[in-house]
Amino acid sequence: MTYILKKKKINQVLKGWFKNYDVYAPQKVEDYSQFFRLTSADDLVLNEPHNTRFPPKALFLPQSESLLKYDRKINQLKEAIPTPKPRIIFGIRPCDAYAVTLLDTVFNTEEYSDPYWKTRRDATIIIGLGCSEPCQTCFCTTTGQGPFNPEGLDALMTELEDSYSIETFTEKGEKLFSDLLLASESQQRKAQEIQKKAVESMTPAFDTTNLKHNLDQIFDSDYWATISESCLGCGVCTFLCPTCFCFDIVDEVQRNERVRNWDTCMFRIYSQEASGHNPRPTRKERTRQRIMHKYSYWIDHIGEIGCTGCGRCVRFCPVGLDIRAMLRAANTFESETINA
Amino acid sequence: MSEIKGKLKSEIERLLREDIVDVVIAFRKEDSPLRPQPAFFRNTDELTNLEYNSLCQNNLANYLTRFPHDTRIGIVVRGCENRSVNALIVEKQHQRENLFLIGIPCHGIVDIKKIIKKTGEEVTEYSENQDEITVLVKGQKVTFPRKELLHDSCLRCVHPNPVDADVLLGDPLPEGDPSIARQAVKKIEAMDRDERYAWFQHETERCIRCYACREACPMCYCTECFVDHAAPRWVESDVSQGGMQAWHIIRAFHQTGRCTSCGACERACPMDIKLTYLTEKLNDDIREVYQFEAGMDRETQPPFASFNLDDKKRFVI
Amino acid sequence: MPEHDHNPYNPIPMHIMRAYYESNDHSLKSFELSFDNHKDSEAFFKKFNPGQFCQLSIFGKGEAPFGVASAAWEGEFVRFTVQKLGTFTQQIHQLKAGDPIGMRGPLGNGFPIGDWKGNNLVIIGGGCAFSSLYALTKHIQEPNIRPNFAEIIVVYGTRNSGLCMYKNDIQSWYQRKDMQIHQAIDIPEEGWGHHVGYVPDVVKDVAPSPKNAVAVVCGPPIMTKFTLPVLVELGFSPETVFTSLEKRMKCGIGKCGRCNIGSKYICKDGPVFSLAELQSLPNDI
Repeated sequence: MTYILKKKKINQVLKGWFKNYDVYAPQKVEDYSQFFRLTSADDLVLNEPHNTRFPPKALFLPQSESLLKYDRKINQLKEAIPTPKPRIIFGIRPCDAYAVTLLDTVFNTEEYSDPYWKTRRDATIIIGLGCSEPCQTCFCTTTGQGPFNPEGLDALMTELEDSYSIETFTEKGEKLFSDLLLASESQQRKAQEIQKKAVESMTPAFDTTNLKHNLDQIFDSDYWATISESCLGCGVCTFLCPTCFCFDIVDEVQRNERVRNWDTCMFRIYSQEASGHNPRPTRKERTRQRIMHKYSYWIDHIGEIGCTGCGRCVRFCPVGLDIRAMLRAANTFESETINA
Repeated sequence: MSEIKGKLKSEIERLLREDIVDVVIAFRKEDSPLRPQPAFFRNTDELTNLEYNSLCQNNLANYLTRFPHDTRIGIVVRGCENRSVNALIVEKQHQRENLFLIGIPCHGIVDIKKIIKKTGEEVTEYSENQDEITVLVKGQKVTFPRKELLHDSCLRCVHPNPVDADVLLGDPLPEGDPSIARQAVKKIEAMDRDERYAWFQHETERCIRCYACREACPMCYCTECFVDHAAPRWVESDVSQGGMQAWHIIRAFHQTGRCTSCGACERACPMDIKLTYLTEKLNDDIREVYQFEAGMDRETQPPFASFNLDDKKRFVI
Repeated sequence: MPEHDHNPYNPIPMHIMRAYYESNDHSLKSFELSFDNHKDSEAFFKKFNPGQFCQLSIFGKGEAPFGVASAAWEGEFVRFTVQKLGTFTQQIHQLKAGDPIGMRGPLGNGFPIGDWKGNNLVIIGGGCAFSSLYALTKHIQEPNIRPNFAEIIVVYGTRNSGLCMYKNDIQSWYQRKDMQIHQAIDIPEEGWGHHVGYVPDVVKDVAPSPKNAVAVVCGPPIMTKFTLPVLVELGFSPETVFTSLEKRMKCGIGKCGRCNIGSKYICKDGPVFSLAELQSLPNDI
């Protein structure tokens, strides 16, 4: 069903939700926006053309979270599985929502279901906001999704002049909006036009047809040395990435907690072994691992690229590395050396 | 600007052609608008990619510690970068004989975040001259006075001229006013304790421990950083208040007497943390107490990294 | 009591039953762990297979993976042999009988013993990596299981005789009619009556036939590196040679990403891989 939510009515709708749900929506921090729990509808930021700075994956996999608490003296442990109140994520972009479904394939497996991830996931309704004006750094259509991709969403909003058209896809989404007026034919048509225009405005950033094959072929080549030379080896791309999930498990002695924290394959100590041996001793191997994992090994695991084209790594890399250019170069690298 | 770039290209060509250096560290054209990248030139035919403008925001001295000491390296240096190179030489991280410094008196680095704040992110083209910056946003040309867009560290810059270059491209610029540098520090000193702590908390709580600041800084070259030391663990690993505050304060203290105020840390931070407020305060203290600024020459040891029998011993007695 | 069977991050509460040194220099120590709850031991042995590993957990100190060094029939306990290498293993070495310890497992795939039925088994180990091969050998010696396999040849090399683990048990293997045991040390020692030389050379000498045979190699990387070509030369195909990989691990259940190589997670898809599978993985070990 498609409903219409007038912009001036948003406050009312949100207040209604506050009674039964925690609502998480983008709010202003300094010059950017980030998902926080909304306490007042006035803090809502929905008018940015792009996604939030910090990825909403943190709402399911917090950057730091306690796995268990223990009492060293008597060696009893207390689980720290979260029991979140039912919650709504409001205004997430399709790239970030699809990323959450990709992460489900890591955390919600049959063999080992991650209870920390699962309780949050089960308690959450996800309302997306499509991107009417995709940025030049976005490449969600290249990775197989798009600025109005519905996957992973319970409902999707399209911004019209003074309202949002809201298409519901699941029962959970339907329940939230069924009190609103249905969208008229012309309103639905307008929304579809906006969506179509947004998709058409995006050009392919790199060719994915043989990408995995090309990357696998050049694994042992010089390609990685060239592209990783200016890479700082910091964690910006991995921490801001909505599909990166690597974490470290640490015992925080002073708080008697076993914690898990986001980690990154870009750090040297990530792969450092107790014997001192490091299978990825230089930046070259580490940059290679990041790209191979995201664009080749993810395909081995679930048949899809592990990237949703959100563009954060392009916008915030401190040295201006652009993964799209790196992948275009990877696609053509082998043929260059053959012709050389 | 394009004049400087032309001179730079000729100079790098000369260095490579005459086999004076093995590699030249400079910048190359952007892959994505407003983002020229640090680059390593080893052949003259790679120079079609060369770029030099005020968007070149990284401190290139950062890359020196990646090369073995016997590599002959040419490197583009502006004021603060030259001082970083000197600071590294003082700490024996490289040998001056193997470096060829191409000096460029600096008109300041443009802060991309400031451009984006004014125009949004859809900038497709950029051009500049000494006084103005012009960008093309959604087909519209917008011009700003340079001063409005310079990075805060550059607005406070005292030493825009390379102090030790082998060749200077461009005319030397007048030194900056140190009292302007003091202003940023004075602003925080004017706050009372509660306000200061609130400021500190506000800046540190956004931190995501990505360590971009550390990796962008030429003086952070330790093979094992104190935050990575796990046995014993000195600093909390998680994004708790204590952990982040410890990280910020201790890194700043490790920079005391070594930081050249280049601002690369602040520009690298993805969460817009104004990192330089801590290092500027420490730089200011060192200037006042020891009359020392990092990297002004290749010999003087930083006060906290050296010991002299003449040192004041008040703290001991 | 926490429901740790459905939280894979929760360690099973165990206690140290016995702790004893294996090597003369005290760098290797074995621990036999008993279950605090019988329910946990049932669940464990239902899934357990030699070649699997567990994450041993000391609260406040962390966790690390160790290969299981015992067979199910030996009793309701789990044995691990720990080499004192870093801070965590140092902590483990200080534990004594009666101390509590946490264990998560069994993790990993283990040896595909079911696929090996009817074959000769050539079991080649070096140093402390022999512990999971010890588990494998003990498992096969069980009277109901032994008939499933033909000849068993075990080659076990250590730097010197003092470093040899499970000394008493291995001594008894020389008396057994259902297997061959070949021990080796790197340099000659007085009183040593077995092979002298590096494991790859000993394997060359023993020259096991590849016909209807499967080889399993576990040892320090350099030993594995030189043993695999010897087996290939003897005629073993990559599908019939198996090894166990080690890599830095944290979660042990394929979620934290650390042990990822190519399309595999060593903790989940391994740690046991055939040479054929290894050859298809990128050069990232």
